[in-house]
Amino acid sequence: MSFVRDDLRPVQRRTALLLALCAAVFLVLLGRLWTLQVIQGEKWQRLAESNRLRRLPLEAPRGEIFDVHGEPIVDNRPAFQLLLFPEEIRDREESLRFLIDLGIGDEATIRERVTRALRTSHLPSIIADNLTWAQMAAVAAHRSDFREFEVHQTTRRSYPLGPAAAHLVGQLGEVGPEQLGREDNLKPGQLVGRSGLEKAYQNVLGGTMGNLVVMVDALGRQVSKLSEEKPLPGKPLHTTIDAGLQRAAAEAMAGQVGAVVALDPHTGAVRVLLSQPAFDPEQFAGFLDPGYWRELVGDPYKPLNNRALQALYPPGSTIKPLFAAGALADGARSPDDTVFCTGQVQIYGHPYRCWHAGGHGRVDVETALEVSCDSYFYYLARDVGLERLASWAHTFGFGRPTGIDLPGEISGLVPSDQWSRRARGHKWFAGETISVGIGQGPILATPIQLAVAYAALVNGGYLVRPHLVPAAATLPVPTGLPAVALTRVRAGMERVVNGERGTARRLAALGAPRKAGKTGTSQVVRKRDGVKWRDLPWEQRHHALFVGYAPAEAPTLVVAVVVEHGGDGGSVAAPIAGQILAHAFGGEVEVGTGADGAEEKPLATPPPPARGNHRGSQ
Amino acid sequence: MSLRQLDPWLFGAFVVIALCSFLAQDSTAQALNSPGFATRQLVWLLFGAGSMVLVGLSDYRVWARAAPALYAVSLGLLAAMLVFAPLRAGTRSWIGIGPFGGQPSEVVRVVTILLVGLLAAEHRQRRSDLAGVLRLCTVVAAPMVLIALQPDLGVSLTYLPILLAALWLGGLPWRVWVALLVAALVLAGAAWLWYLKPYQRERVLTFLDSDRAPLAAGYQQRQSRIAVGAGGLTGRGLKSGTQSQLRFLPAQHTDFIFAVWAEETGFAGAGLLLAAYAALLMRIFLIALAARDRLGAVVAGCVGFWLAAQTAFNLAMVLGLAPTTGITLPLLSYGGSSILATCLGLGLAQSVWRLRFANV
Repeated sequence: MSFVRDDLRPVQRRTALLLALCAAVFLVLLGRLWTLQVIQGEKWQRLAESNRLRRLPLEAPRGEIFDVHGEPIVDNRPAFQLLLFPEEIRDREESLRFLIDLGIGDEATIRERVTRALRTSHLPSIIADNLTWAQMAAVAAHRSDFREFEVHQTTRRSYPLGPAAAHLVGQLGEVGPEQLGREDNLKPGQLVGRSGLEKAYQNVLGGTMGNLVVMVDALGRQVSKLSEEKPLPGKPLHTTIDAGLQRAAAEAMAGQVGAVVALDPHTGAVRVLLSQPAFDPEQFAGFLDPGYWRELVGDPYKPLNNRALQALYPPGSTIKPLFAAGALADGARSPDDTVFCTGQVQIYGHPYRCWHAGGHGRVDVETALEVSCDSYFYYLARDVGLERLASWAHTFGFGRPTGIDLPGEISGLVPSDQWSRRARGHKWFAGETISVGIGQGPILATPIQLAVAYAALVNGGYLVRPHLVPAAATLPVPTGLPAVALTRVRAGMERVVNGERGTARRLAALGAPRKAGKTGTSQVVRKRDGVKWRDLPWEQRHHALFVGYAPAEAPTLVVAVVVEHGGDGGSVAAPIAGQILAHAFGGEVEVGTGADGAEEKPLATPPPPARGNHRGSQ
Repeated sequence: MSLRQLDPWLFGAFVVIALCSFLAQDSTAQALNSPGFATRQLVWLLFGAGSMVLVGLSDYRVWARAAPALYAVSLGLLAAMLVFAPLRAGTRSWIGIGPFGGQPSEVVRVVTILLVGLLAAEHRQRRSDLAGVLRLCTVVAAPMVLIALQPDLGVSLTYLPILLAALWLGGLPWRVWVALLVAALVLAGAAWLWYLKPYQRERVLTFLDSDRAPLAAGYQQRQSRIAVGAGGLTGRGLKSGTQSQLRFLPAQHTDFIFAVWAEETGFAGAGLLLAAYAALLMRIFLIALAARDRLGAVVAGCVGFWLAAQTAFNLAMVLGLAPTTGITLPLLSYGGSSILATCLGLGLAQSVWRLRFANV
């Protein structure tokens, strides 16, 4: 060290400048700290929250559906879903292979589901439901390799009646975007009713989804449960349906295509609503297999259609009691007016045949109903004209929806000259009126309309609103039909079953209580001479109809049966209705007492040809 | 020689920072499930405090005279480490004997400062000439290059403030500053092209454009900003910060320890810590101003500027004002070597302070 004192002033000057620079930088840092923590604090706190909190949707169990006796029609059972947390996926291909090995579907389906799940970013998606115990064990065993999968307990619809109640209860489906926009109590991914009771009473059955808020760490692992917003289960629905009767109707219809509606004629409470062929509602309760969906949509028998409300049939002879009542009420016919049936009548220079080639001889209104004489109604149609026939059809509720509390009901068709000009482009031909007189031609009704019309015939002339839930009932609307006319028509319908020549006299064998009703066989193609319907190909056979009720004196149940291409109302539809009535009131349907003679093989109703070979007839 | 001769302000600021350091490490120890972290940090801090006092009670001029020899040994050690040190986490920066071990690169910094001070003192009143500048540059660049080869870019960069401070305090004409700036830019460009690894380049690019990669390189900075911001005015409570406890914060016991502190103690705690750092650094610069000789002034100034630059850069990184570079926060970040080096530097400053009035 030197003894000369060093002049440190320049160094000190520069040190002071360094100090000032550092102080300035620290002030900037302090300002930044203030900005982040105090000014923007709330924003960053929100981000920290969304970092660590994850919302899991909790599905609300839907309400159960009960029949009139409290028996469940739709139930819930525990089920296990496989949830996928997209953020957790480490190797997508390996996860896919694991899912494929798990056996929850084919490769393409799984790929599609995973792709869809990844699009919804960090929200968990249901990748499979209805896991078996073995599948759950496999997921648990590989928990450490595949953190993205989690088994989640939930509930799932179960259907004790199976396909027998498919159309009645309807399908479930994931809620669509437009419905989400309309109703704010729905959440994405929620299952909602798409048809049937599930749709009509979605507001009752569908609960409100809940939320589970969990805290996760940076690796997405659940650290703790923070809060649980419990899902609100849907409310139960008590219906007027009779599950036992519904099952019996499905058994009676076995293999046939068509519909059955049974209701209480006084209130309109529906006991049976069956459409066949049906689908398996279980398939819609969770992940719908696209293959099954394609099969349903491509099926020529259209199993997704609810034929009870959505299929139109010419009512055939089942319209005769309605026209008879109208004619008696209007005075167009008196009860004692008769017609002589030779098996054929000549009107406007054309021959119109009665179904019974030999003729029925002299018939009054009751006999005309008993034997289903066409000639009587040809003359009636000629004498009153289309407009009055149409007005009687309207009186019984034809041509407009019955107002049943199910979605998708259609109106049917009651023809008029204006309708003809508008829809067909030509005027109404007088000859067509004659066909309409026996329920043929462009007069179309749904099975539910038939049931409601017959309810009015037997309940003293009131048009009821059919309903599945008591709260949907409305006061019956009087039609103004005089009791005397209705009594005559009911007497005729009793003779259909109980008369010597009744077209459904086989049902008399059911015993007490007395049954009554009317058969119908509506043509699909023009009848050919000498060809038995059993020899025709299925799609050319006539529709078989029967609307019956019991007890005949004080009816409590009306049953309408339509069998598409069933061939013959008396031998095909009537026994089905008989079986249902027998189940409701006791008694066995005796077979072999056919109306059509010895070759009859009752109830051995020929089923439609095997699916797939059929190319469609409608 | 008495403890009274040491600067109580410097020591007080150190104690405040050390306390914060222990509490913050205690918190991340829980988050990282490594209870030993906090205890070890405390031991190091105590050991560091002892070293500071011992060096403070010694004569910095004696250390300076030993600096050339120490420096030669240091360079030899750093060079040997490139071959013999075990490869840990991709670098050869750590050596150990028995249960003891550490990063020599941290401590060599103090030796470098001493040598820089010695060179500056020999120049005395003359302005730095080109030979002097080159000598300074060589003295600092030699360990820097060896450390960068380990490779440990974070530590290597902390040598840069020493060089800058020495050049600044030595006094340079502005033309030399321009030349140095150009050289630095050329060096930075070369480093960008040949030295920096792709992930390091990505970090810089991410900082320049924060939307660039929200999930990869930007993730750390984003989580850090969320942690600091979420602290608010009063913080979420010690050991209760969700960003740290749920491990959203990366490298939370080392580079991002300040974010842990800021989240859990809020502006109140973070501001206090910032003030303690400011007080510590201000005190070192004041010591440099009070130094009796050029050696003391340059040594204290270099220690001050090194710690100020490292602290400021780390905080800027945590607060989202600078790219992530792996530069730790002195005394707060986990690590014994870093604490020891810092304490040795502080001890030299104390020594300069203690001997400020002594006769020539």
